[in-house]
Amino acid sequence: MPIVVNLDVMMAKRKMSLNELSERVDLTLSNLSILKTGKAKAIRFSTLEAICKALNCQPADILEYVEETNE
Amino acid sequence: MSTQNNFVFKALRVIAWVIFVGLSIEAGGLLVNFIFSIFKPEFVGNLYQKLDLSEMYQRSKWAFYGMYSFVLTIATLKAILFYLVILLLEKLDLSNPFNSYVSTKISQLSEQTFCIGLISYIARQVAKNMEHHHFDTDRLDAFWEDSQAFILMAAVIYVIAQIFKRGVELQNENDLTI
Repeated sequence: MPIVVNLDVMMAKRKMSLNELSERVDLTLSNLSILKTGKAKAIRFSTLEAICKALNCQPADILEYVEETNE
Repeated sequence: MSTQNNFVFKALRVIAWVIFVGLSIEAGGLLVNFIFSIFKPEFVGNLYQKLDLSEMYQRSKWAFYGMYSFVLTIATLKAILFYLVILLLEKLDLSNPFNSYVSTKISQLSEQTFCIGLISYIARQVAKNMEHHHFDTDRLDAFWEDSQAFILMAAVIYVIAQIFKRGVELQNENDLTI
């Protein structure tokens, strides 16, 4: 998928663990893991809002568009 | 899931098992009948449904084997159809109904029902054609008189299968929405 989730990068920048983020945004570890590994099909605005608030960042810091190459 | 639905599903499971056993006995009985009508035609009168096609056998072996093949195939396919219904009812969970197993089983049910309808229809036309050649096929009518009902049922199940396929896609999408 051309949308890349950079959640792990932001978490590393903020030095926050998955457990801590999970508690702050009130999401299960498995759901956060799905999001982190890029397996998620969609993200709710409410989830994005909670993550941005917890990590003190903008949506663009978490989501990135990368054009697919046909190789 | 409400208790009423629970009860209905348990009842449906029992009914499906009863019909499956009945259809399996019918298919088995017809097979025994077929074997006896070849090797011991004099016993056929005492066997299942007294389906005596010895007259047809004497007139034309091809007609006999052809008609019996249709009868046996339809009876076996009907038994398999209800086996599929049992498998479906065993795995169907109303609290989370949209999964790939249920979707596949409903698609298989549709294909199976269509096969039964199509074979019944062909058999019916062949039997009609044989009547023109003065073969007595009246006793066989009961095996394929519901061919159109099966084709219609296949169409309805096909629509349900397509809805389920879409339902599975939506469920997967919903599961992967964080």
